[in-house]
Amino acid sequence: MSRLLDLEKYDEFVGNLELIDDEDMRFEYIIDVGKKAGDADFPEVMKVDANLMHGCMSKVWIIDRVDDGRHYFSGFSDAIIVKGLVTMMTESFSGLTGDELDALNEDHVRKLNLGALTTQRQVGMLAMLAHLQKLGRRVTTAAAD
Amino acid sequence: MSKLSALTEPFGTGGNSVQAFDVDKVRADFPILSREVYGKPLVFFDSGASAQKPRVVIDCIREAYESYYSNVHRGAHYLSQRATDAYEEARVIIAKFMNAPSDKNIVITSSVTESINLVAATWGRKFLKEGDEVIVSEMEHHANIVPWQMLREEKGIIIKVVPVRDDGSFHLQDFEACLSSRTKLVAITEVSNVLGTRVPIKELTRIAHERGAKVLVDGAQGIVHQGVDVQALDVDFYGWTGHKLYGPSGVGILYGKADVLESMPPFQGGGDMIVRVTFEKTTFQDPPHRFEAGTPPIVQAIGLGAAVKYVEELGMKSIAAQEHSTLAYAQQELADIEGYREVGTAPDKAAIISFLVDGLHPFDVAAVLDRQGVATRVGQHCAEPLMDRMGIEGTVRASFGLYNNRADVDALVAGIRKAKEMLS
Repeated sequence: MSRLLDLEKYDEFVGNLELIDDEDMRFEYIIDVGKKAGDADFPEVMKVDANLMHGCMSKVWIIDRVDDGRHYFSGFSDAIIVKGLVTMMTESFSGLTGDELDALNEDHVRKLNLGALTTQRQVGMLAMLAHLQKLGRRVTTAAAD
Repeated sequence: MSKLSALTEPFGTGGNSVQAFDVDKVRADFPILSREVYGKPLVFFDSGASAQKPRVVIDCIREAYESYYSNVHRGAHYLSQRATDAYEEARVIIAKFMNAPSDKNIVITSSVTESINLVAATWGRKFLKEGDEVIVSEMEHHANIVPWQMLREEKGIIIKVVPVRDDGSFHLQDFEACLSSRTKLVAITEVSNVLGTRVPIKELTRIAHERGAKVLVDGAQGIVHQGVDVQALDVDFYGWTGHKLYGPSGVGILYGKADVLESMPPFQGGGDMIVRVTFEKTTFQDPPHRFEAGTPPIVQAIGLGAAVKYVEELGMKSIAAQEHSTLAYAQQELADIEGYREVGTAPDKAAIISFLVDGLHPFDVAAVLDRQGVATRVGQHCAEPLMDRMGIEGTVRASFGLYNNRADVDALVAGIRKAKEMLS
């Protein structure tokens, strides 16, 4: 990647988490993100199997809208903590192109929880990243066709 | 019965009362229980998934590796003989623990999953044919469903399912309604890993035998809470796993009646299970070695022997009494939490509590509990059909071990209250 990614929202989440020096408080921060996300942004009609991310302990739906080659994600989960995580992921990485999404890696995800999550849930976040990247490639590929 | 008397009532009323042991003294036997997680004391309520290990088991494993480890049944040297003696002694200890007629009834496997698959792949393949019926229950772990489905694909057998009632209870009349002249096997759990429901195995076996069917019991969750007497139950097969009985992971047991094991072909081919091999023909060992191809889980089996001796010293009846007392206390305290619902309330259930809290996702509850140092399990617990039956997607499960005390229960209750506060 030749230029640095513009990840304003991501930087905001990471900045907030870095200000909190207690793991329990970071955990509560993620819960707060989940609570504040609310239910209104994710249409009920989009909670269908086609948008379901498989392999999660709780249900996670992720959709994307493409505008001028850039992906804008929305996510939802029936568990608040997971909704917090999916909200941080989708808000952080919205507005990127498929190539820019592919440039994201484990370090980006690790900074979004800073030890407040068990390894299993970090794996879940990595799976969310892979899902976003897959969505990015799918539309990019379709556009190339 | 008053609240207090329910908590001090000895287990097994009716004359044979057994007192619980001093759980706080016993906790000192388990080194891991003194550690903290996230700066809080560990409260371990996930013994149904895998139990913690007492010092005697850890020491036994270390001693085996440090002082006499070798392969078994084949070495022409001192260490091999020592290891073989210890491995075979473990088989004898396990046979006595189960009240099996002989150690020859005890096949050492890698897990209860392998024990069940062994029966499906050998006895099932040999004796079941198209149209024959295998009865399971709605409460089965996937390990006692999928092997029979695989056999259904191969042989065209029919799987019939005994329903459970809304409270999770199991009734023999529901079982009898599933029996037919084509029933050849009843493969059933002794205790539900989700609901704690006990199945009346002795009576069920009597009925099944009257109809000419064999009985295989998945005892993974049963033997740890109540022990087993396979001769009293008269079951044909009884499978269980070591790591849930405070032993090492990687070792399981299959008990089989002598004539039944004798009638079965080998499970896997390899070393140790043969008498003579030529390229023209191979002859096989007698049971149980016929079913133990290759290098077995040597140290795991020896460690399991130590675990069995440990629980025998405490006494299975005392363990049951202790767990019963803690379960009763937990049920009483948890019931006071607004919105709390126990899933599975069959009478005389084993010490396993699955629960939900109104308006909260089980995953969230378990995650907050985890941050409080309280280890539970969340999800479908490898029992997806049971979740469908109960009309739920999953539960939080607190499964008790012999070391759980009332302070653990208090931490669980406080953790759930904290979850409500944080998540609402």
